[in-house]
Amino acid sequence: MTSLEAGGIAMGGGVRFLGERRSYWRLLIKGALLLMFTLGIYRFWLATDIRRFFWSNTEIAGEPLEYSGTALELLLGFLIAIAILVPVYAGIFLAALDLGVIGKLSGVIGFAALGFLGQYAIYRARRYRLTRTIYRGLRFHQQGSASVYAIRAVLWWLLTALTLGLAYPFQLASLERYKMRNTFFGDLAGHFAGSGSRLFLRGLLMWLLVFAPLIIAGLTVFGAIDWTALTEALAQGGDDAMSRIEGSNPGFAAAIAFAMLMASISVGMAGLLYPAFQALVLRWWLSGLRFGAIEVRSHLRLRDVYAAYARFIGYAILFTIILGIGSAVVFGLLAAIGAARADGAAGEILATLALLVGYVVAALGYSTIYRATVMFSLWQLGVESLKLSDVALLDDVKARGLPSSAVGEGLADALNVGGY
Amino acid sequence: MNAGASGEALYFDGVTSARHDVRVELGDTSLQIFGRDGSLMSEWPYPEVEELAASEAILRIGRRGSTRLERLEIHDPVFAEQIDLRSALVDRTGIIHRRARMSVIAWTLGATISLVLVAWLGIPAIATRLTPLVPPGIERRLGEAVDVQIRGMLDNGQAGADFDCGKTSTGARGRVALDKIVRRLEAAAALPFPLRAEVVRREEANAVALPGGRIYVFQGLIDKADTADEVAGVIAHEIGHVANRDGTRAVLQGAGLSFLFGMLLGDFVGGGAVVLAARTLLQLSYTREAETAADAYGAGLMNAAGGDARALAVMLEKIGGATEPGMKILLNHPETAARVAAINKLALARKASPFLDAEDWVALKKICAG
Repeated sequence: MTSLEAGGIAMGGGVRFLGERRSYWRLLIKGALLLMFTLGIYRFWLATDIRRFFWSNTEIAGEPLEYSGTALELLLGFLIAIAILVPVYAGIFLAALDLGVIGKLSGVIGFAALGFLGQYAIYRARRYRLTRTIYRGLRFHQQGSASVYAIRAVLWWLLTALTLGLAYPFQLASLERYKMRNTFFGDLAGHFAGSGSRLFLRGLLMWLLVFAPLIIAGLTVFGAIDWTALTEALAQGGDDAMSRIEGSNPGFAAAIAFAMLMASISVGMAGLLYPAFQALVLRWWLSGLRFGAIEVRSHLRLRDVYAAYARFIGYAILFTIILGIGSAVVFGLLAAIGAARADGAAGEILATLALLVGYVVAALGYSTIYRATVMFSLWQLGVESLKLSDVALLDDVKARGLPSSAVGEGLADALNVGGY
Repeated sequence: MNAGASGEALYFDGVTSARHDVRVELGDTSLQIFGRDGSLMSEWPYPEVEELAASEAILRIGRRGSTRLERLEIHDPVFAEQIDLRSALVDRTGIIHRRARMSVIAWTLGATISLVLVAWLGIPAIATRLTPLVPPGIERRLGEAVDVQIRGMLDNGQAGADFDCGKTSTGARGRVALDKIVRRLEAAAALPFPLRAEVVRREEANAVALPGGRIYVFQGLIDKADTADEVAGVIAHEIGHVANRDGTRAVLQGAGLSFLFGMLLGDFVGGGAVVLAARTLLQLSYTREAETAADAYGAGLMNAAGGDARALAVMLEKIGGATEPGMKILLNHPETAARVAAINKLALARKASPFLDAEDWVALKKICAG
C-alpha cells in the first residue's frame, strides 16, 4: 500500500469510525473481570484502553485521532484528588456530627461543596482529555477557568431544577459555549453555534409528554382536597393524620390513585422518550461545534439510537436470565451446605458473601452491556453522522498548548462524574 | 538485519498540521525522513523511537521525550516490521505491553488482598485501640448524632403513637418503674456519663445501646419478660455494651471501612457516612466477643446491684430464637446455650432482692399503654 492510497481514503468532509464491536466487547469483558478482582483499581487502565480504542478508530478527513494519556497519569490524578477530597469529606463528616445549626445544614453544605467540586472536575477532566488528544501531530487544548465554569454550572443546574428542566437547553448552550470558546486545536479556536432556544423548541413536546401527566395529577389532587376540612384535620395534631385526611376528604383516595396512575404514565413516557431526547441533544450538540471556519453538521438518525437501546435491552434480558439461573444454583448449593452443617454462622457469612459477589457481578455485567451497546453505538453513530465543511483549513494549523495534569480526572473519578 | 531498508510513510512535523508523504530510510543508528523533493526533513535516533496508540492497521511512532509531537504513520506491515526490529520501544507483537500489563494486574491484585486483610483485621484492631482514647464528651456527641439516624431507622411511624413509651398518664407510672431499675443498676455501674434508657414501640424482643449511654429497650422485650429482673438483666447487658464502648467502636469501624472501600471503589458518600455507621452499628458489628463480654459485665452488674443474674440467662433463652433476622443486637447466635451456662456460672448463689415490687412491675408492663 502506498502512502497516497493511505491518505486518500476519506478525504473531504468525511469522519469515519473503524472500531469493531467485537474487539470492544473483548476489551470490556476482560476489563470487567479485572475490575472485580482488583476492587476497581484496574479502572484507570480500562479507561485508558477504552479511550485509545475510540480515539484510534476515529478518522477525520483520512487521519485517525491519537489518545496519548496513560493509566499512570490517571492514577496519579486520582491520588491527588484523594489528597484534596479526604479533608473535605472529613469536614462534612464532622459537620454532620455537630448538633447545632451546622449539623442541620451539613447536608446542604456538603451537597453544595460536592456539586461545585464535581463541576470543577468535569471542566478539568475535559482539559486533560483534550490535551491528550493529538491529531496530525498537534494537540488540542483548553483554556478558561474551571472555577468560573463550576460556578456557572452550579447556578444553571439550580435554575434548571427550579424550572423543572425547562431551562436545560439554555444551560447546555451556555455551558457548551463556554467550553468551546476555550477549546483549541493547535491555534485554531473553537466556538459553539448551537442555539438554546432551538433545542428548547425541539424538546418542548417531549417535556410536555413527560410533565403533563404530573401537572394534571397535581391539579387533580389539589382540587380534590376540601381545604377547610383538611386544615381542621391537621390542626387536631397527633400521628394519625393520614386516616383523618381520608375521613375529611372522601374523594382523596381516588385522587391519589389517579395521581399514581399519572405518575407512572409520566415515568413510562420518560423511559420511552429518553433515547429520542439523547439523540436530539447529541445531534444538536454536534451540529453546533465549530473550529475556526470549519463547521460540523450531524445527520444522526433517531431510529439508529433506538436500535442501540433495543440491543441493550436484549442483552440485558439475556444476562438477567443467566444471572438468575446462576444465583439459583449458587444459593441452592449454599442451602445444601447450610443444611449439612449445623453451624449457622458460617452459612450466614457464606450467604452474605454470595450476595455481595452477586451484586458486584450484576452491576459490572449491566454496565459492561451498556458500554458495549449504547455507548459504543452513540460514539459510532455520532461520528459517522458528521460532515465537516472546509476541511482544507485543517492543513495549516500551527501547534500550541501544553499537556495538563490529570487532577480533574481524579476528582471526576472520585466524585463519579466521569464521561468516556 | 536488512540495513538500508526504506519505505513510504505519512509524516507530521509537530509544528503544523500539514500532511507530508515521505520516504523513510532505516540507517544503522537512526531513521531518516525524506520529503518528496528528496530533502532531509528529520532524523530520529532509534532509542528515541517510540510506538504510540493507534489502530492495529497502522504503526504510529513518535519521538520519546520531545515536546514537539512529530509523528510517523506506517501503513505497510512489512516496513513496520523493519522498524520494530531496530527500535526497542516499538513492539508490534505486544509482548512488552502485555508483560507490563501483567505486572500491573499482579500488583493490583496484591494491593486488593492487602486491603481486604486490613479491612478484616486491621480496622477492627485500630478501632479497638482508638476507642479508649475517645473522651466521654465526644462519645456523647457521637451518640446524639447516631441517635438521630437510629431513631429514623427504628421508628417506622406506624405505631400510631409516640415512638417513646411512658408519655401518657398510665405510661408515666411505668416510666417511674423503669427509672427505678436503671438508677439501681447505674449506682452499681459507675459510668463516666449518665444513662438514658427509654422503652420504644417496636415489636421485637430486643434492646440497643448507643454510644454515650443511651439505651433503647423495645416494647416486645417488656411484653415477653415475666419478671422485672429479666428486664433488668437485659438492661445490665446493654450497660455492658455502654461500659465497653462497643457502640463507639462500631462507629469508628464503620467509618474506617466506608473510608477505605469508598475511596477505592470511587464512590464515597461523605455525609452519608454517619448513616452508614449507624447502619453498621445496628446490623453488623456486635461481634461474639462483644456479646460475651457484655454478658459477663451484665451478670457482674446484676450481682453488684444485689439482683439475680440468672434472670439475664432466662431472658436470653426466651428470646434466643425470636429476634428478627438482621437485628443481632442482643443475640441470635447459635451458641445461646453456652452463653446461658456462662452467665449462670457467674451468678452468685445468694438471696437476691427483686428490682421492682408487684405493683411497679404491673406499671412497667403498661408503659406503652395509650
